[in-house]
Amino acid sequence: MSARGETAIRFDAIHKRYPDGAVALDGLSLTVPRGQFCVILGPSGAGKSTLLRMVNGLAIPSAGYIEVEGERIGPRTLPRLRRRIGMIHQQFNLVPRASVAANVIAGALPAVSMLRALTGLFPAELRARACALIADVGLEETHLRRRADALSGGQQQRVGIARAFMLDPAIILADEPVASLDPRTSRDILTLIAREARSRGSTVLCSLHQIDLARAFADRIVALSAGRIIFDGPPEALDRAAIANIYGEIGEPGPVAIPERMAAAG
Amino acid sequence: MNASPSPAATWHFPRPYGLKTVAVAIAAFLLLCFTGQRIEMDRMVAMTGAAALSTVGAAPDSEVAKGIGGLASKLWPPQISERTEVSRIENFDPAKLPLFSYVETVETQVQTLNPETLQMETHVERSEYLVERFGYLRHVFARMIETLEIALWGTILAVLMGFPLALLGARNFMPWRPLRAVAGAVVSLLRSIPEMISALFLVLAYGFGPIAGVLALALHAAGFLGKFYAEDMENADPRPQEALIAIGATQLKLLRHAILPQVIPQYIAYTLYILDRNMRMATIIGLVGAGGIGQELKGRYDMYDYGHVGTILVTIFLVVLLLDRLSARLRRAAL
Repeated sequence: MSARGETAIRFDAIHKRYPDGAVALDGLSLTVPRGQFCVILGPSGAGKSTLLRMVNGLAIPSAGYIEVEGERIGPRTLPRLRRRIGMIHQQFNLVPRASVAANVIAGALPAVSMLRALTGLFPAELRARACALIADVGLEETHLRRRADALSGGQQQRVGIARAFMLDPAIILADEPVASLDPRTSRDILTLIAREARSRGSTVLCSLHQIDLARAFADRIVALSAGRIIFDGPPEALDRAAIANIYGEIGEPGPVAIPERMAAAG
Repeated sequence: MNASPSPAATWHFPRPYGLKTVAVAIAAFLLLCFTGQRIEMDRMVAMTGAAALSTVGAAPDSEVAKGIGGLASKLWPPQISERTEVSRIENFDPAKLPLFSYVETVETQVQTLNPETLQMETHVERSEYLVERFGYLRHVFARMIETLEIALWGTILAVLMGFPLALLGARNFMPWRPLRAVAGAVVSLLRSIPEMISALFLVLAYGFGPIAGVLALALHAAGFLGKFYAEDMENADPRPQEALIAIGATQLKLLRHAILPQVIPQYIAYTLYILDRNMRMATIIGLVGAGGIGQELKGRYDMYDYGHVGTILVTIFLVVLLLDRLSARLRRAAL
């Protein structure tokens, strides 16, 4: 696991301090091996989003460094590395007025020439791949021309997933991908992400709020609190005490976590 | 029931407006009284009132009523036909008259002094005129079309200048602050110069005619579009932009695929508004010689051809009315 070629993402002593003095991450180190579905748990404000966004340079650490596929993230490597990292967003982040087809194929933008990008005439190979992905995520041909904002939340996230996989990314960052979806749809969406990632051997770093979903999909669960890792292990190791520890210590009401766990168990 | 007084007994309900508001209102009123007097608003009311009374016969005739009445009688009937002396037309062929025209012969008795006999002699001089029944109307229409063309090209040039200015001035496209500031200054400058003023100077540079008009309209409208295009770009939803930044799309690709799809409908609405506005402005910038129907209006007005002026005014009125309806419909369709 420690061999370089086997490591997808490595965080080394990451600190993040915002200009207002708030500390998002406090000396965090974490290594994610290739192909792992790693779920980040933790209460709001624990630093989950910041951690994810550092992998593709949307956030920059105040100290420490990150390696992606053995390369350290910096201004020079970032443009190349970003092409290999797909991202799935909590608010889907689709262009509302654009069609499903246009939104999905936009995921291939870094790989096409400027002329093609400006005219919007993508090569046939990419168009075919976009169609295949849209079918894979469970949408129909009739959806292709539909405006993205005319779709339901679950369907929009399916479009977001198709876009994220356009360039066969080595890494998928999913920033609370199901936070605004109902429980059933959440499960479908996570199943989809896991399936697409597995078939490509992509590594997934996914932040979640729901403990039951984390248990069901994760190969490994990492829990953050106040910018530090307070739990790191397989889903089976996440017991009642660990959950109380995650959500209880920073004053979030403990009982919120407990019934959720019992509901998951029952 | 009234066991203890409610704590609300000591509350103070907030006043609808405070002393400061009243003071500001009084100050504003005094200021308005002052400027109103300077600008002779009182005299305006008196003169208009007298005119209204005199038209219903309740007062002796007023200056204003006489002025308006005189003007109206001069403008009516509008001039439709055009008369040209045949001798002034090159290669005139009486067998091939233009459509809706005829030749009028006018005989005038002319008295001349015969230098030999030193007697006054009377003889008849005949002159022929080509009368085109709708000649002047056609001429006005042609100038009106030219006016609309000026507006169209003024709009096209405004978009071509305004869009790059908007790109340079939009925070989410141009991260370099000094250039953004320059673009912003140019946009403000362009917007601050009224079309009539810039047309006045452009006529000196480019000569009389439509070029000056097109440029005058384009410069002002480019300022308007540069400002509003940029504002919309900045207000576009940042989330789709972030999604494309995350995968490594460059600025131009971001503009094309995350920003433009969001703002295009609004851009079309602004551009149609500018086209509408330019059509109306194009009719009047001709007054300073910048082509179009305004130039014709100015020429006829200065020659006291009030019948012709009447035709022009009616045409302008009808065309603007029509365009107003049309552009409102187009704008609704775009949004």
